[in-house]
Amino acid sequence: MKSIFSIDPLIFVPALLLSVIGIIGIYSTGFNTEIAFYKGMYVKQIYWLIMGLILFFTMMVIPLRFHEIFAYIYYLIAIIMLAGVLWFGTAGGAKAMRWFSIGVFNLQPAEFAKIALVFAIARFLAHYKGKFPSTPGVIVVLALGLIPFGLVVKQPDLGTALVFGVITMFLLYWAGLNSFHLFLFISPTISMIAAFNPIPLAIFIFLLVVSLLIARTDLKVSVGVIIINILFGILTPVLWNKLHDYQKLRILTFLDPGRDPRGAGYQIIQSKIAIGAGGLFGKGIGMGTQTKLAYLPTQHTDFIFSVIGEEFGFLGAVIIILLFTILLIRGITIAAKTRKGFLGLVAGGFVAIIAFQVLVNIGMTVGLMPVTGLPLPFVSYGGTSMIAFWVIVGILTAINRDWRSY
Amino acid sequence: MAKRSKISDIRAKHTIIALLILFLILTGRLFSLQVVSHSYYRQISENNSIRMVPIAAPRGFIKDRNGKPLVTNRALYTISYLPYMSDAKFRHIDYLADLIGVDRQLLEEKLNAPIRNRYEPIKLVRGVDFGVICKIEENSEKIPGIIYQTEITRQYPADGYGSHLFGYVGEISDAELRKRDPNIYKSGCIIGIGGLEEEYDKVLRGRDGVEYLEVAASGKILGRSPYRESVPPQVGSELILNIDWKTQCVAESLLSGYIGGAAVAIDPSNGEVIAFVSKPNFDNNAFAGVISEELWASVANDTTHPLLNRACVGTYPPGSIFKPITAAAALESDSVSINDKFQPCYGSMRFGNRIFKCWKPSGHGRLDMLGAIIQSCDIYFYQVGKIIGLDVWAKYSKGCGFGERTDLDYPSESSGLSPSREYLDRKYGAGDWSRLLILNLAIGQGELLVTPLQMAVFYSALANGGTVYKPRLVNKIISPDGEIFKTKTEVLRSLPFSASTISFLVKALTAVVEDPAGTGAAARIPSITVAGKTGTAQNPHGLEHSWFCCFAPVEDPKIAVAIIAENAGHGSAHAAPIAREIVKAYLSSIGVL
Repeated sequence: MKSIFSIDPLIFVPALLLSVIGIIGIYSTGFNTEIAFYKGMYVKQIYWLIMGLILFFTMMVIPLRFHEIFAYIYYLIAIIMLAGVLWFGTAGGAKAMRWFSIGVFNLQPAEFAKIALVFAIARFLAHYKGKFPSTPGVIVVLALGLIPFGLVVKQPDLGTALVFGVITMFLLYWAGLNSFHLFLFISPTISMIAAFNPIPLAIFIFLLVVSLLIARTDLKVSVGVIIINILFGILTPVLWNKLHDYQKLRILTFLDPGRDPRGAGYQIIQSKIAIGAGGLFGKGIGMGTQTKLAYLPTQHTDFIFSVIGEEFGFLGAVIIILLFTILLIRGITIAAKTRKGFLGLVAGGFVAIIAFQVLVNIGMTVGLMPVTGLPLPFVSYGGTSMIAFWVIVGILTAINRDWRSY
Repeated sequence: MAKRSKISDIRAKHTIIALLILFLILTGRLFSLQVVSHSYYRQISENNSIRMVPIAAPRGFIKDRNGKPLVTNRALYTISYLPYMSDAKFRHIDYLADLIGVDRQLLEEKLNAPIRNRYEPIKLVRGVDFGVICKIEENSEKIPGIIYQTEITRQYPADGYGSHLFGYVGEISDAELRKRDPNIYKSGCIIGIGGLEEEYDKVLRGRDGVEYLEVAASGKILGRSPYRESVPPQVGSELILNIDWKTQCVAESLLSGYIGGAAVAIDPSNGEVIAFVSKPNFDNNAFAGVISEELWASVANDTTHPLLNRACVGTYPPGSIFKPITAAAALESDSVSINDKFQPCYGSMRFGNRIFKCWKPSGHGRLDMLGAIIQSCDIYFYQVGKIIGLDVWAKYSKGCGFGERTDLDYPSESSGLSPSREYLDRKYGAGDWSRLLILNLAIGQGELLVTPLQMAVFYSALANGGTVYKPRLVNKIISPDGEIFKTKTEVLRSLPFSASTISFLVKALTAVVEDPAGTGAAARIPSITVAGKTGTAQNPHGLEHSWFCCFAPVEDPKIAVAIIAENAGHGSAHAAPIAREIVKAYLSSIGVL
């Protein structure tokens, strides 16, 4: 029962296949005639996979209780690292401070901060032993999420920051937060989006008031929610002007990729062309002209899915989505059956991370989401990401094995 | 505990459903991109990475009737600059300007123009000598990024001989492009302009090939695309002309001494054009290369209009070479017989209240029709004209084909002008013109205008007994795989004259050359009977044009010639000797002389 070889095939096999497909995709970018540095990059990714597998099995040896005990310590270390990267970090793409350089290895603390946040919130909510926390408890959870969110926004990396938001919201939902209350939590975000035009904002605020009345919400809470929503609606244009130009451009470009086909819209357009040109069965390894001739940007990391779409076609793309579906449904099942609070919440948080990154990354390559720079779990090139996701599935597997005896 | 687990299960179900819906949306989107719109995106992806570069097909050669190549192809070198091959701005402008011998400023302008694509060559100088290319090659290390490219252009005979016959080649204009078949003619392609190059462009041009190059996102060309097969160009067909180049050259050189002139020689038995000359020539070799502004200005401002093809576009009053038509009209309409003698010629004669002069001030005395033709007496023909009247004259003039194009295989041709009652009514108002106009028309003056080609066609028909053949420059077209397409002999019409009238005219025209009193004595060739007619066309702009039309040998005509030398004076003195040399050249070329 406690053997490290009692691995769950529904977790392990999809993760391994996705990693291998990713390596093939990265190998294919090595045919790029323009950018020599892609050559041999797949070898590095193989090393990362081996390291990820080692950590996978390590996670199965570490007792789960250990994580619960050290949850806040993890969190503290992660916050210190995130703060540190702001002071001592190395500039990555688009002048964002995201990495620590440790020798040849560029460490991205944000990847581990995601895991740490899941542990911290899970431990906190587990205190309530199945009963949902009162308002002060919810505020603590929100604060736990807001700290890493703020630090990563400051890097600035809006995409990764959103992952912290999603973890926080999903864990509140998973712990049993009333759906209407969840809607109230999310409502300021909707106000923000609506704020670009006064008419939708007014309509939304009106609907909010009506629904608060129908739900017979406490008067103080109702007034608070409405004031916060109006504040967000008014402040958004101000905040918008505080956004970095490239962030504004990414959002605008997402709304209309054709507005600047040579500039910011270029990435999305070229990615759609690559995927569309792939057709049903793809062009074959090293035959994708969008990839090979460098029309596709950051093809080994953010746009690795487009490479696969071009060279392996609809078939390859659907296989990837299927593998994620299997992995995620298995993760949700594990999260649902581990009735003890901590493990269920940890599993739920992990599922949220993987699901969100898959949706945002693939959504971006097919032009349904803005360009965010979130990697595709297991598939995109990158050591920290590869290791972090193998740690995640390692813990998931351990939970699946040990939850009865926890 | 129980409540908590229940919530978890429902929420797990909801989470799974939400996830499946979202993944289904992604899959749907992928299906739409990769299956539904696949061909659209494949096309864009190809447009992204494949550049189509046309490979110009070499044009077919043009040869004379004996297979002598007249128009061939030559290489045209262009010096270009490839920005990406030189890491910084090009620094050797002075050195380069010195090496290829062009203005420094011109180079600087082109090199400093904004660069759109570092991998696209910037054309610096087109049409340089091979010697310059050698120098570039030797010093390539000192001028990084300077390359040369080769295009094929036309090589025409020296001295502009046959320039109007051949025309030239050049880049297609936007206006021209809109008129033509877009499957064959693409922007920037080379087309024939004027002459046979234009008329037979479709067969001469062959089929351009296409090379598909693979281009990276940076614009760098990586070589041939492995996904699309290149299409090799197909050389154009060859034209074999009816022109006899030896005869053409004799005409070209003899007419060179005049301000302007034209000569057309035709085989009377089938309409094959043996020589087709217009003077002055233009330098079609220079036109086929790079037309500099100075060259264009010098041609466009030349008062002798070298681009005008005088052989079939230039129109002139024919003068006395038209008298046989007037004579035949009179005989055919039965209003005059060959023995009729009218008022004698005293050098001038009064008609109405105007005095009409003969070209010979001392007069010819009393002549019959034969004598009048031999001596080209104007007074005789005034009286014939008055007798037959405008309508009869116009009917026969039109019946011979005057006032109409001959339908030569050439892109431009004038119809000339053969005035009729309708024309005069239209021009001056009904009946509002002098009845005496016919007198001038009868001697080939007045508003009558003809092309040298029309005259050659008419004299050919006289020579062969009355059949008017369509004149043809091209004898056959030989495709690259050896298929031969021969142009057909076509009869346009018969002269509206009876056999006896024609034989009288032939007798009269023979006497013009052979009779001691004849005006065409200068065209005499020992051992060959030549029939001909001189003409001296009055010209309001200057000295008279000198005409001569003839055919030979009279017994078995092999060649008919029409010649005009502008502002040269009397036909007998200038055009006739040239005609003689042309006839001699051709007859010796075919072994008759």
